Amino acid sequence: MSSEPIERRVAYIGDRLRGSRCTLCGKEYFRVRDYCGRCGRKSFGKMQEIDLFYEKGELEVCTLINEPTNKFKKLGSFIYGIVSFHNGKIRVPGRLTDLIINENDEIDFASLEGREVVPRFRRRYAVKRSEIIPTISLAFTFADEYYPHQEYSKMNPNKDYDTPGIVGYGVYISRFRIKEPHMERSVPFIDEDSITAAVEAGKLALIHSGVDNARIGKVYVGTESNPYAVKPIASKVAQVLKLGEEDRADGIQGVDAVDTEFACKAATSMFKDAASIVYYPKSEIEYAMVIGTDNSQAAPRGEPGGELDFFVGYGACAFIFGMKDVIAEIEGWYSVTSDTPDFWRRDQEPYPRHGGRFTGDPAYFKHIRKAAQKLMDKLKLKPEDINYFVSHQPNINFPTKVAKELGFKEEQYLPGLKVAKFGNTYSGASPTGLAAVLDQAKPHERILVASYGSGAGSDAYSFITTNQILEKRNRQKFTIEYQAENPFLYYVDYTTYRKFKSGLEAT
Amino acid sequence: MNKKPIPTIIGVGRTKFGEHYEREPENLIEEAWLKASEEAGIERKDLEAGYFSDYFLPLTNKIGLEEGFLSELSELHIPMEISRSFSSALMNACNAIQAERYKLVLVGGMEKMTDRWDKIRDDLMMLEDPWSYYAGGTPEANHELLLREYIKKYGILGEDLEKLKIALAQIAVKNHFHALKNEHAQFRRPITLEHVFKARNRARRMLGLFDFAPISDGATALILASDEIASSYTDKPVYILGCSSATDYITFPSREERTGFLATRMAVENVLKKAGISRKDIQLLEIYDQSTVMEMISLEDLGFAKFGTAWQYIYSSCEDYKGYYEIEGKKLFVNLNGGLKADGNPLGATGGAQIYEIFKQLRGEAGERQVKADGELSFGCALELEGFGTKAYCHILGRNVL
Repeated sequence: MSSEPIERRVAYIGDRLRGSRCTLCGKEYFRVRDYCGRCGRKSFGKMQEIDLFYEKGELEVCTLINEPTNKFKKLGSFIYGIVSFHNGKIRVPGRLTDLIINENDEIDFASLEGREVVPRFRRRYAVKRSEIIPTISLAFTFADEYYPHQEYSKMNPNKDYDTPGIVGYGVYISRFRIKEPHMERSVPFIDEDSITAAVEAGKLALIHSGVDNARIGKVYVGTESNPYAVKPIASKVAQVLKLGEEDRADGIQGVDAVDTEFACKAATSMFKDAASIVYYPKSEIEYAMVIGTDNSQAAPRGEPGGELDFFVGYGACAFIFGMKDVIAEIEGWYSVTSDTPDFWRRDQEPYPRHGGRFTGDPAYFKHIRKAAQKLMDKLKLKPEDINYFVSHQPNINFPTKVAKELGFKEEQYLPGLKVAKFGNTYSGASPTGLAAVLDQAKPHERILVASYGSGAGSDAYSFITTNQILEKRNRQKFTIEYQAENPFLYYVDYTTYRKFKSGLEAT
Repeated sequence: MNKKPIPTIIGVGRTKFGEHYEREPENLIEEAWLKASEEAGIERKDLEAGYFSDYFLPLTNKIGLEEGFLSELSELHIPMEISRSFSSALMNACNAIQAERYKLVLVGGMEKMTDRWDKIRDDLMMLEDPWSYYAGGTPEANHELLLREYIKKYGILGEDLEKLKIALAQIAVKNHFHALKNEHAQFRRPITLEHVFKARNRARRMLGLFDFAPISDGATALILASDEIASSYTDKPVYILGCSSATDYITFPSREERTGFLATRMAVENVLKKAGISRKDIQLLEIYDQSTVMEMISLEDLGFAKFGTAWQYIYSSCEDYKGYYEIEGKKLFVNLNGGLKADGNPLGATGGAQIYEIFKQLRGEAGERQVKADGELSFGCALELEGFGTKAYCHILGRNVL
């Protein structure tokens, strides 16, 4: 049984790796402290808050854990050791994650020791499905492997825009993949879920945008795979990323956070809300963050709904909207909705079901076609006026077909078609396509995005890139291309994929 | 000026350590304490207070307030206190005797770990350090990390490293060898270096199953009196000439010193001062070999070997083991009961077994295990730890008052 207050306190410190520094003697502590143990009473009020969330550390010594304590058993064998930060001013215990250690692997500890590591936000250990999900960032990966260390340097905005738009974005796709006949799919490591991916994507978006986290006034998290039926992911994102003004005494963030749900368009639906809220002067919200995150669920192959098990992926996308230092302005939007039950998951059911052949024409195609066409009509655009077209991508065929139907050519729709690399990341799917385009677009290019959410609806947006897209590009190493083609990708078999997918739930 | 009373042990008792599947913790502590009382020749009603120790009894056996069940068991209504390690209970008892609060008290320790076999490692780790637990640490992991820090700090490489690995294995072999003669020991079977190395290979680490103490059930007890009344009970009293303790951070990685235990180093300096003797007077050592590494580094922390060198003496002493370590020409009898490794490690009772062994050896009553020192066997020292070096307790016992 978990204790809510203990869980709250451990997560508050451990998720962000919060620490303190005594400004009198310089001693640093992992954990928030009001006093320095060395300086005593005179240090009261002289403690500076620090955290290690964007830092890199060094794995000083390590060992193999092959008989974990009970709650860690599902992780199997893992590497555990001491990680130091700030040249040894702070040392913390930590485990390496995103690493599969097989039964007969010989481990050369000396080759691991001394290497730089990055803290990763993950599930802490397994608990029963009825309990609070424990998380922690005392999980690390090597900085010279898949996930690079990136500093978070905040920028003072220097240009105002009349129209709101995207000021930065981040995409997080896991290191693990599974190969299918015509595509590769992203697979979460066993300690990942849609909560951890949302935080990662948000972190990457902050890094890319340079936006001060304290100036984000609203965060939306769209998902259909929240491991909680009741409890938002957005609150975890807000707390871990310290969004909005922070009230340290109470541990509260001055931000509005909400989860949204509409199958795969839960995030794109909120782009216009985020844009509107930063545009409306009385909201006093400078920036709003929209995250689409999914650990897309699928029944095992051969079971009802198991058809999805060839396509589902894992990942998250975050977009920050504002009116300063915009990289892509919103030119317009159009959304459509009808009550079409082509895909659904009933409460307390672990896996979704879908309407088979009816997910195509009366669902995906009808809604995307309508939204995209209406928006083009509204903005008086022809396909040749549009540089890139991105649509929801549950597989390769659907987005290709709909793009052709709308009159787009390969050079317009292929740059934003990433499903063959990552699988269907649901709420993150069309946003990942958009991010892929933004990664390579030149200034003053037009991008048309049309999402699709079963149930059903589509949001179409037209974005026009600005000059500033180029200057922000070098702020992000962890690009779509980098995550799609990376020497550190790790391919797993179907059994491992199912095990990872089921995650750290105690059985 | 009145001379301060000296806490004096007049009788000891213990159970066999191991798995006591069929027995309640009550039976265990009763056995230990009746044996101690019998040896001391005291009556139940002579006792003025009880100092007890256990780590996990409320968790493992759901027995409620330990003092209550001890009162019911003994039909005594005297003051009773519970603390964690046997050494902490003993130190409190010594303090009370020295403060002239009591003249005759019972000190007892007990643990029943095997009743919670499937969860006890989680409990141990949570006690050792919650943050290390949250990061995935196990009770064994820190020993290995300390060892790796040690090897790095002292630059032990190549042939030396191989010798160090052998030396650590020899510790386990030596402790099993000692336990052969200990009728109370959990493991009374000889092991070889091959056993230790095989287990290490299985674990794919420097330390394997045979490098670690087991989990155990057991109880120990002793009767502590002021020296003034001790002589009316026995003509072979054993005096507690000094006791001392020190504390360190709970989180091992955040300590400055990670190749040994600061708490041990501080405790031993203080206890030597209090006892008024020097290290060269000590022939007997009972140290807390939760792992083979802990026995090695404790020899250094206690000051018997220079930092980074203990393994060399262990290695050379064990090539042809004569029953003791020879360190810079000095004979040192270490863990004659088999240590935690072979005698067993029922946490709250473990320290009692250390004191039991020193008491028996100093009185010349250790039977088959009795050692012959050069000259008179006069002093013994016990080191008990709580957590992973978070607390250290040192007791110096002697045959004579100085």
